[in-house]
Amino acid sequence: MSDFLLTQIINYGAPVLGMIVFIGALGAPFPGTLIVVAAGAFARQGLLAWHTTGLIALVSVVLGDNLSYGMGHFAREAVLRRFQGSQNWAKAESTFARWGGMAVFWTRFLITGIAVPVNLIAGTSGFGIRRFFLYDLAGEAIWIFGYGGLGYLFGMQWEVVSELLGSVSGLALGLVLLGLGVWLGVRQWRIVEARKANVPEA
Amino acid sequence: MSPKIQRLLVWGLITAGILLAVFFGLRAAFAFREFRRHGPPPFAPMEVKNDQTAETDVELIRDWMTIPYIAKMYRVPPDVLLDALSLPRSKSIGEKSLKQLNDEYFPQAEGFVITTVKAAILEFQAQAFSTPTPPVIPTP
Repeated sequence: MSDFLLTQIINYGAPVLGMIVFIGALGAPFPGTLIVVAAGAFARQGLLAWHTTGLIALVSVVLGDNLSYGMGHFAREAVLRRFQGSQNWAKAESTFARWGGMAVFWTRFLITGIAVPVNLIAGTSGFGIRRFFLYDLAGEAIWIFGYGGLGYLFGMQWEVVSELLGSVSGLALGLVLLGLGVWLGVRQWRIVEARKANVPEA
Repeated sequence: MSPKIQRLLVWGLITAGILLAVFFGLRAAFAFREFRRHGPPPFAPMEVKNDQTAETDVELIRDWMTIPYIAKMYRVPPDVLLDALSLPRSKSIGEKSLKQLNDEYFPQAEGFVITTVKAAILEFQAQAFSTPTPPVIPTP
């Protein structure tokens, strides 16, 4: 897949890159980070103009993210019908309202594997579109210009950078899942212990 | 959510987290070692538009690259590469990757195109970049 996409970028340039990051933002399993780093290297090689390419990629990915946020937003009615009044849903909404900005920001460039679910949750939970847009724009700017800049810096050796960034992203996702599992486990354990303490001994 | 499903969710998250962290952690460590070994290549002077110094390491050639792209990177005329492969000049050939060319024109010889392209570049660069030897001045 990535080989095919790279060939298309060197043949057709920035519009293809824009299309790839746009479709990737909607959930297609494209190797986005690899493509962005490679595009940086192609810019150094004079194949792509870094400013217009960066701008096209940034606009495309932000558009894709906002579209997937919109999908979540329009699914809100159905979700509310199912969960409205539930204590857990209210808690989840308030937690996302508090930490959602950070979740949107960090999943743009570091924990990219869960970026699309975060977009959908943001839309569904009623997270404000303006806040979403701002955090999204900041995170994606780092992804496009920061990662692309590393590709530019390393030129033909961009594969080394891409491999490192991809692995760090996977590692971060693993640590987040592990942390979430431990946090939920501890919470559950505390509830069980509290229940045990409240049960009067026979 | 029933307590049984909650327990399953917690253990699922912890197991997936550990597996991902170990797998990608090891990959990141190896990648970091490679990253440290390769410093970024030097830039061309600012007055030169685009960094277009000729690449010489043919081991960086990959299957997804096209003939015009390789020609540009290695500063080799595309015709030299096409002649080495005995392929005609056409736009559609220029848009195909080395892998596609191999599958289409040399299906019986795996890796033929990439090997031939590397050899042609090395030969061309050896001729183009060889410095002429200074003339020998006879001593009286």
